[in-house]
Amino acid sequence: MVNMGRRTAIAGSFATAALSRPYIANAANSTAVVWQVQGFVQEEDAAFRKTVADYEKLSGNKIDLSVMPFQALNQKAVAALTSGDVPDLIFHDAPTTLLPQNAWDDKLEDVSDVVEAQKSKLSATALLNASFYNGRTKKRAFYLAPIKQSCAPFHIWGDLIDKAGFDLKDAPKTWDAFWDFFKPVQTALRAKGMRKMYALGLQITTVGPNDGNGLFAHFLIANGGQDIVTKDGKLHTDDPKVREAAIKSVEFMTKCYKDGFVPPEALSWNDADDNNAYHEKLFVMNFDGTLSPELAMIKNQKQYHEAVVRGLPLRNDGSIMPAQLGAGGGFIPKGAKNIAVAKEFMTYFMRPEVMNENLKNGLGRWVPAIPSIVKEDPWWLDTKLDPHRSAYVHEAVLGPTIAQYNGFNPAWGKVAAEQIWGQCHADVIKSNMTASQAVDKAFKRVEEIFSRVVFG
Amino acid sequence: MSGVLALNRPIASAWRLRLPGPDTFWAAAFALPYAAIFLFFVLYPVIFGFWLGSSPALYTELFSSPLYLTALANTLIFVGIGVNLKMALAFLLSGFFMRKRKWVKALLVIFILPWATPALPAFMSIHWMLNGEWGFLNSVLDALFGIDGPIWLIDRWLALGADLAAYIWKQLPFWTVIFLAGRMSVPRELYEAADVDGATGFRRFVHVTVPLQANLYLVCTLLSTIWTFGDFNTITFISGGGPSMSTEVLATLGIRYAFTMSVPSLGVAAVLSALPLLVPIMVLLMRKLRTSDVQL
Repeated sequence: MVNMGRRTAIAGSFATAALSRPYIANAANSTAVVWQVQGFVQEEDAAFRKTVADYEKLSGNKIDLSVMPFQALNQKAVAALTSGDVPDLIFHDAPTTLLPQNAWDDKLEDVSDVVEAQKSKLSATALLNASFYNGRTKKRAFYLAPIKQSCAPFHIWGDLIDKAGFDLKDAPKTWDAFWDFFKPVQTALRAKGMRKMYALGLQITTVGPNDGNGLFAHFLIANGGQDIVTKDGKLHTDDPKVREAAIKSVEFMTKCYKDGFVPPEALSWNDADDNNAYHEKLFVMNFDGTLSPELAMIKNQKQYHEAVVRGLPLRNDGSIMPAQLGAGGGFIPKGAKNIAVAKEFMTYFMRPEVMNENLKNGLGRWVPAIPSIVKEDPWWLDTKLDPHRSAYVHEAVLGPTIAQYNGFNPAWGKVAAEQIWGQCHADVIKSNMTASQAVDKAFKRVEEIFSRVVFG
Repeated sequence: MSGVLALNRPIASAWRLRLPGPDTFWAAAFALPYAAIFLFFVLYPVIFGFWLGSSPALYTELFSSPLYLTALANTLIFVGIGVNLKMALAFLLSGFFMRKRKWVKALLVIFILPWATPALPAFMSIHWMLNGEWGFLNSVLDALFGIDGPIWLIDRWLALGADLAAYIWKQLPFWTVIFLAGRMSVPRELYEAADVDGATGFRRFVHVTVPLQANLYLVCTLLSTIWTFGDFNTITFISGGGPSMSTEVLATLGIRYAFTMSVPSLGVAAVLSALPLLVPIMVLLMRKLRTSDVQL
């Protein structure tokens, strides 16, 4: 055994410390640490890597990239923002509670200068989805550099409609009637021996996290209650129009469930459950965000073409229904070491040609935050190139759109996290409340949550 | 007892006596990495957690939430029934696996599989098996008996029962093996002496096995209770806290507040609120560990 003296040990310790130095030394000013959310399809990740490589080549800067799944990135981002040990940039999909809450808490860098360069080209909804209220500075500013947007279209098994002897062209043009169109399809399919087939993938879930809240918001919009929260962050549960819309929404959805057109399990679905069941063709249609249900089966071309994507019908009063959009892009935590490179990278990414190439390479699961892109590049609307994309783009970009409520007031994120709307449905279905009683109970809780968020 | 404690003192003194200058230095040098790790990865996060959850306003918000009391009640039910049922079953099963037959040994290998299986895919599979319409369990009930099984996960008690069943299924093998090891350490002579005295079967179990294993059983139960308080996976991947958050426990509620609502301080407060229950268990565990040290 070698007999090591104290000096040797101390020298060894310094040598070890010295060996670990170069890693820190590499983190020079030209390198930005970026955390990116993993795409639903691998093409999205390849697209992001290409954007990074192109930027690195152009700028001479370096991006130290880490890719994480959605939930993991959410948790890591919350942990980083809490501890202060943050990356330079987080590129995330629709971080609906993370952004409003941390903007409110003054934990994010203002990226108004980045957004400014493309402000005139960005859609009004993208701008709204990118701006948040700061509880410390008492003003609204841009905390997200928006790149992409998404909406929820209808995903329908066209082959099941054919099998039932119906034609999707006959589907009514208004919201409730459109949903009702699928009910006799279920009856016909069951008569043909498909004993456990359901018409509607209606996510009236009490589990969440997201689908049930998005669905309820769309029903509210369809029934004229879209101003439940306005851009100034104010809650309008006292507005009779909003209350009536909520009651109509809950009545319609719970009736669909009680009448047996929705899988009973839907009350406890998580975000993956409806997708899995849809892919197994266990119900005829689903209303869900992005084109991910179709892109998940793009390698099975037969199934890919059996599916049909439809945009929104008209509201129940016959007026045009706006789609509620989610946004994705980059944001910079306060305390980031290399804000300059992070901002420069996002400025580069927001260039229309870069944004377009990135989103096209990602198979168009997300649409551009700059509407002119889809008008100028036929790839987005040509139905010969893809049977689904055009309907999705029309709903998310070319039709009227509104922003998510989360950006107007961080309290809405808490309402969503408590699954108050799912609970409202469960109160009617399981506790035999009337829709108005359930809505009043839900509104009371929503008002309690909103009362804790006071704008300066 | 005092005799054994007295034995410990000279050992401690001898340890100090045999560590003159250079040895003390080396002892400190070897202990330093662990001390640093303990400081940064144990002590610092704990202090940081206490600091995060230190505002009284957090607890006002927490206790005013209708979710909190449900989560607290569920935690007590989940831990109380889950741990005790699991430990009792594990203790009984360990007796069965003491048998020396070859098929019992083979069965033990199969029995351990749930413990060896990664938790997340296993729980996600169970979640799908419990699907009321298309799940394996109800399909089997339909095929064999022509009956429609319940919609397991939309009823609070069925969902909580499913959480408990999955938790016990996953954890049972580990604790069975621990108790098996405990039983194997009992000298055979004690059982032979009991046989001579006419204590066989149930009487031998009550008068020999139980007293000898009681301390191990208690220590394991306390340890398992502490671990189960923090069990997030079972609830999240089986019932998802549903329906209507009626199966949420403090661990999952804390995660929901911290990461779904992006209010980590409230999440930490939810978890810290379990401390009045956990601290007495930890104190008791430490006392029992000291006792077991004396017995050994």
